[in-house]
Parts: sequence; C-alpha cells; structure tokens
Amino acid sequence: MDWRKLDPRMIAVHTSWLAPPAASFLMALWISGGHLDLRGWLTLSGITLGFLAFTAAGVASWAKTRYRLTADAVEVRTGMFTRKLRTVRLNRIRNVDLTASPVHRLFGLTTLRIGTAGSTDLGSEVKLDALAAPVARALRAELLARATHTAAEDPVVSTINPRWLRYAPLTFWIFGGMVLVLGVGYRALEAIGIEAWRLPVVRRLAVEFGSSALWWTIPLAFLASTLLGVLGALALYVEGWWRYRLEWVSDSLLRVRRGLLTTRSVSIERCRLFGAVLREPLLLRFGGGAKVNAVAAGLGTEQQDSERSAVLPPAPRAEALRVVAGVLREPVSPLEDLVLTAHPKVAHRRRIVRGLLLVTLPLLVVPGVLGYLLTDVLLHLAWSTALASVPFVLWFARDAYRNLGHGLSGRYLVARSGTISRDTAALRRADVLSWTFADTPFSRRAGVVTLTAAVATVVGGYHVRDMAEADSAGFAERAVPGILTEFLDTDGSGEQLPAELVHCGAGGPVGADGAR
Amino acid sequence: MTTSTAAAPRLRPPRYRVDPRARRWWTVQALLTVSGPAFLVALTMTTLSLLFFPGALRWLGPLLLGVLVLPGLAYLLIMPPWRYRVHAWELGSTAVYSASGWFWQRRRITPLTKVQTVDTVIGPIQRGFGLATVIVTTASTAGDVRISGLGLDDATELARRIGEAAAVEEA
Repeated sequence: MDWRKLDPRMIAVHTSWLAPPAASFLMALWISGGHLDLRGWLTLSGITLGFLAFTAAGVASWAKTRYRLTADAVEVRTGMFTRKLRTVRLNRIRNVDLTASPVHRLFGLTTLRIGTAGSTDLGSEVKLDALAAPVARALRAELLARATHTAAEDPVVSTINPRWLRYAPLTFWIFGGMVLVLGVGYRALEAIGIEAWRLPVVRRLAVEFGSSALWWTIPLAFLASTLLGVLGALALYVEGWWRYRLEWVSDSLLRVRRGLLTTRSVSIERCRLFGAVLREPLLLRFGGGAKVNAVAAGLGTEQQDSERSAVLPPAPRAEALRVVAGVLREPVSPLEDLVLTAHPKVAHRRRIVRGLLLVTLPLLVVPGVLGYLLTDVLLHLAWSTALASVPFVLWFARDAYRNLGHGLSGRYLVARSGTISRDTAALRRADVLSWTFADTPFSRRAGVVTLTAAVATVVGGYHVRDMAEADSAGFAERAVPGILTEFLDTDGSGEQLPAELVHCGAGGPVGADGAR
Repeated sequence: MTTSTAAAPRLRPPRYRVDPRARRWWTVQALLTVSGPAFLVALTMTTLSLLFFPGALRWLGPLLLGVLVLPGLAYLLIMPPWRYRVHAWELGSTAVYSASGWFWQRRRITPLTKVQTVDTVIGPIQRGFGLATVIVTTASTAGDVRISGLGLDDATELARRIGEAAAVEEA
C-alpha cells in the first residue's frame, strides 16, 4: 500500500477551532453596539491569534501526516520540523479503537487508534486523526483480520487503559449515587441518635433553599448532585478496576485481577466457561461502550456471580468484542459483525402494550383515584403525567423490539434482548443443558414463544424472548442437534394436541413406548 | 405471525397426560392457598361490616365480590381443568419431555445425559389422592423438570426408568 494522507475534511474540523473566537468577537460587537475600545480589540485579537495558531498547527499536522500498511506493519509518518516515523508490527496490535467527536461526526470522520501489547500509557498509542468513517472501518477490519491470528494465543487478554475512565460516568449511579450517599448518611446519624432534620445546619439549608429563587437553585442542585455522582462513579471505577488484568495464566485457567484498595482475583477454569455476555446499559450504549461478563459455573451465589463474572469494566465496544473473543479463545469474536434474526413485528406491539400497562396505566389510575377522592389537582397530575409517559413508553418499546434478536455464530448461540441494559449472550452450543419453550394464551395468539437455553450457571437460563413460534423448534434443533429430535413433528401437520394425548393415569401403563 | 413453511419442524406435545385425580388435588390446593383465604377474608370483612358499620356494606359488598370472591371462584373452577389439559409428559429414548403450567405454560426437554438426580416427592395433600411428583434435576435450575400429578405407581416406575436411562447414557 502507498503512503496515504488523512482525510482532507480534517481542515474543516481544525477550522472549527475558529468558531469560539468568532463567536466572542460577534458577541462583543453586539453587546458594545459596534463601539469597541482599544482594550477590547487587543483582548479579542489575542484570543483570535491563539485559536489561529491552534488551527494552523492542526492543519500542518494534517498536511504532514502519512500512513501506510506494509506486509507486516503499520507505518505512520508525522512532524513538521522533527520528522517522526512510527512502525507498529501487526502481530503486536492488541486493539483498534474508533472514536468520533461530535465535530468529527458532523463531517463523517472517525479517529482510529491502534493500541499495542504490553503498554498501557497513552503515549504509546498510534493515532490517525482522522479518516473518513468507511475508510477507518475498513482499515480497522483489515488490521484486526491480520492481527488477530495471534490474539487467540495471546495469554494476556486485556489490561486497564486510563482512557476508559471516560465510560465511568455512563451509569445510572450518577443520579442514584447522591440519594444513596444521603440515605447512608441519614441512617448513620440516626444510629447514633441524631435526627438529621433537627440539626440546625440542615434546617437552615432547607429554609434558605425554600426561600431562594427555585428556578435556578433546583437546576443548580441537580447539576451539583450530577457532578458529585460523576465523581463517585469515577472513584468506584478506579477502586474496582485499577490494575485490571485479564489473562490466561495457564492453558486452562482464566484469571481476572483488579482493584485499587481491595484487590479481587477470580480464576475461572476453561472447562466451566460456557460463554460470554456483552452488556450495554443504556447510557453506556449511547457512549459507544460495553462491558463483558463471563458465563461460567461455580462463581457462587447469584449476587457473587454478577460481581465475579465481570471480566471487563465499561470500555470501548471494540475492546469488549475483543475481550469476548479472548475469553472464548476464538480468533474472531462470535459477536463481531453479527447478523441476528429479527423477531416478529408483533413482539413490538407486545412491548408497547406492556409499557402502557405497567407505566402509563398506574400513572393514570393511582393519582386518578386519589384525585377523585381528594382533590382536582391530582386529577390533572394523573392525565398529564400519563400523557407525558406515552412517548417514553413508545421509545423504549421500539428500542426493546429492535434489540431483540437471535442467531448462530460458529460454535455459539447468540441471543440479544433488553433496553435499559441490552445484553447479548454468546453461549457455547455444546454446553446447552436443556430447552424450555414458554408461552401464554396471549403470546400463542400472537404466534411468539420465549425459548430458554439452560446452562449450568447460577443464572441458569438465557432467554430468546418472543421469537416466532414457527421457527423456535427449528432454531433449537439447529443450535443443539439431537435434544429435541424425537419430539419433533416434521410433517407439518402442526397442532393436534388433544388427539395425540393418551390417558394413562389411574393404573394405566407408564408409557407403553418406554419398552422400545 | 409468520406463515410457517411446510418444512419447519414443530414441537409436538408430550404423549401422556397426568393422572385424572390430579384435577381434584389441584382443586384442593387452590382452595387451601388462594381461593379459601380469599373467601375467608371476604367473609370476615362482611361480618365485621354487618356488625359495626352496616352503612359501609353498600360499597364494600361489590368491592369484596369483585376483588376477592369472584377471582377466587374463577381460580378454583378454571385452573384445575386448564392445568390438566396442559400437563403432560413423555420419556423418550434420549430425553425427558414435560409440559406444565396453565396460563403461563412451558414445555421443557432435558437430555437424559444431563440428569443429575431423580426425586419422587409426595406432599401431604398428594398422599390423600395417591399422587406424586417426579423431579429431575440438572446442573442448572433452568433445566430441572418437574412432572407433578402422576399416580404413585407411575411416578415410582418413571423415576426408576429415568434413573436407569440416565445411568446408561452416562456409562
């Protein structure tokens, strides 16, 4: 491959640095009514010059950067005055990460970072900022395709990268954390006999809060609690995942080590490892991140399992896919480039109905009944909150429906569902213990069924929710041939439930066919 | 619903129904756990209301009827026959197959190779009707098979045969 340049649209991205000084210039002109004094001119031109230098440096680095892919390495040439050539051997590549800032996205660009084995600091990364999104994807695919033949053999699957900290705040804890902290504090004070509400400080705060201008103190309080939540999330992430290292210590033992103050170390035997789950909670999913849990037996109770089975903290999705591959010791992650079978449209309708029944109806009925008995205000509250909940219900239902899917990927059965947390499970087909088909009169009328694959973990079953009933038996049979073969009805005659059944109770023989 | 092609294999129901006496067992069970307590609560509240607040009966009566008495009665009358129509089982050459539930129904197939233990359980009410439950456990709770409402002899025989088949499959 020849030397290639970065995408010319990067000039536009660098030029966007000029937006803040331009805006402040216009703002100043507008406020002063076009009459700027000398100091104003000097300040503004200072700012403008600074940003111009920034832009110029960016454009220059764009102009001087070249990259190429040789038979066994990636080479990147940079630098205006001191020319630099960095060479990354393909077999040293550990991950290839694609990110795009909002400005990049506006111009259809993507930044590509190449991480190498054995180094975690940011300086050792090779960065191409930026390529056209399809070019970046193609390059990443090519790099991974040529690099991963070693990934399955590399004993170190993943180690902590400080850059991942940006995913730490993407949890709902940043909203709940504050409440939790206050609750714990209140309980602690209560335990030593102090009622927090009676403390003079708290009362004064409450009174002042009540008498302040609520239209700005409430958002401010919200902002402050969110900020605290973010700090808390960062602290939790660092405490839980610092010095994180996931590696195969021997050919048959996978070990996770992590933690700053408390060091956790979990070892999982290969023979008890049945698969992996890619978990994408809502916020993390929007941020392009994911975490990974192992599906393994013998990790303790359900609560212990959820803690011990974590093999990757919130991290870039590409890294998560790579960790799935590493945990399963597959050259390519079974979740890479997935094409899942979508579920029938009726599953969407079922999700809408469920949302309306579980969210909108209680919002309408509970304050509605109270309002009918007590005061009209509650009646208005009832219909307005119920009405306001409808778009949310519709959005979540649509998201939940789009996330439904199932398929087979090599030796794995893949099932995806969930909206608050979209979970994609990859289970080794040979380790499926049992099949369960569950339905209700409603789902039968809709022609869907929930198929559960039992695996020998505490969680037990992994569900393929609301799949087409007509495809369910065929899918189960394809996924794990043999389990249900003898109970299948392949001539397509379908429902003949009562006719086929034979009364055999009350002293009748136990299954005459058992003698065969 | 998607139209099923002629080639798509369907899961047929298990071949054998459970013992007909199971219907009466389930009726008694419903009476003891759900319907009976509901009736009792309704009766107590009606009595109390008659004794102390005769005026409240006008709205309490329909409320109790709608929330406790009718649902309790419906459960008592509908659940046992419905359950009997659903419950079925079959021991195949390589797997055990069961259908259970009434409103929420499930059909579960567990290969005999994965069977860990086979238990026969006879509850106090079941004993009165001469019934038993066979529980087949596996390494996963989502793989356990319960066949309830079998006649005693059938249950013992079935448990023995599953045990044998599982042992043979394992060897």
